[in-house]
Amino acid sequence: PPDLEDKLLTEPLRHPDFFNVKELFSLKDLFDARVHLGHKKGCRHQFMEPYIFGCRLDQDIIDLDQTMQHLQLALNFTAHVAYRKGIILFVSRNRQFCHLVESTARECGEYAHTRYWQGGLLTNAHIQFGPGIRLPDLLIFLSSLNNVFEPHVAIRDAAKMNIPTVGVVDTNCNPCLITYPIPGNDDSPTSMELYCKLFKMTIIRAKNKRKQIEVFQDLQSQEKHDTSRPVLAEGQA
Amino acid sequence: MAGSRMQKTGSVFSRTRNLLRIGVIEKPLWFDVYAAFPPLREPLYRVPRPRYGKVTDVVPPIFYREDEVRAKFYKIYGSGPKPFDLSQPKYKSICQRFVEKYNELKEEGKIEEENLFEETGKALLASGIILQRRGTDKVAQQDHQDAEARDSVLHLQLQTVLEELQEKKESQEEQTPELKETQKENPSS
Repeated sequence: PPDLEDKLLTEPLRHPDFFNVKELFSLKDLFDARVHLGHKKGCRHQFMEPYIFGCRLDQDIIDLDQTMQHLQLALNFTAHVAYRKGIILFVSRNRQFCHLVESTARECGEYAHTRYWQGGLLTNAHIQFGPGIRLPDLLIFLSSLNNVFEPHVAIRDAAKMNIPTVGVVDTNCNPCLITYPIPGNDDSPTSMELYCKLFKMTIIRAKNKRKQIEVFQDLQSQEKHDTSRPVLAEGQA
Repeated sequence: MAGSRMQKTGSVFSRTRNLLRIGVIEKPLWFDVYAAFPPLREPLYRVPRPRYGKVTDVVPPIFYREDEVRAKFYKIYGSGPKPFDLSQPKYKSICQRFVEKYNELKEEGKIEEENLFEETGKALLASGIILQRRGTDKVAQQDHQDAEARDSVLHLQLQTVLEELQEKKESQEEQTPELKETQKENPSS
């Protein structure tokens, strides 16, 4: 029934924080995971300056208040996309954490690409994979640079294919083309583990909520049908 | 299926919204979510232009009041006797304890400002932390005069140290004649 489906999709958009992603992290968690540590002053990207709090003995310190806001928006967006059964692709070309990212994706039930990105993966998909391919609906970058410290090709490709992106941008990254940037450290193991944990929890939470609401609606529709006709045997699923 | 691959013109959202308005595309999954929760900054492409001429640093440097004390500490004592153990979240280095002691003594106000530094050093010694002064070895050029001056200074220092040792020995001999007898009996190590 289209009414129920509409309600299913529009109801979560009315609440500012339907999946309650704010409770998943706090400022102290970000600080303990060393998310505020940036690179040295010489590595700083021009467009990251608004997100930097200050420079302590030549090392950039990222403003965690802004990071909190950006992280909340990004997690909320991923939760809604996962709720609507969107395909999420984790991208990270950082070899230190490639295994962590792949295992996170496997546990969420989503996809990851932590190897060499071939030129036409998104832009030439119909020829590389065959017709009728479904492209990802969201790309999550856990490190927006590739191995030679240049912006990852997938950022530009996703902007070309009109796919929104969520990405962790460090002080040497370009946050322009990323739809929901998260200014933060992408080099410490503690910070990467924190991001992976947060993304995994939001996606699993969103998927469970979807299942729950679908089951609830099924039960409701079944009750309606049952009340209109004489009551038959219970337990008809 | 139409599409707009112009990533340098407008954002992803503006392009999809315009394509939808024309009617050549069907509504993607994320469109309503973006419309309901837009990001703080629209993801427009900006050209990274290098800055010419005088470059003003927009990012402020972070300095605290205690940095003056820390700078003086590191200048005199070098990096502290104990290395930093960052694995504990609430680790206090010796420099940090020094700074806290300095602030405490300053607030008490009984000691003058010039002597505060030495007083904190003594207070830390009392609580068991030994601070070794960094040696003044860094002389760029060694002229003969300087070398001679240093040698003479060294001689003087050695003489004073020897005199002090001799005085101490004499005072010890006066106070403990018995111990000296026992020492004479036992073989010296």
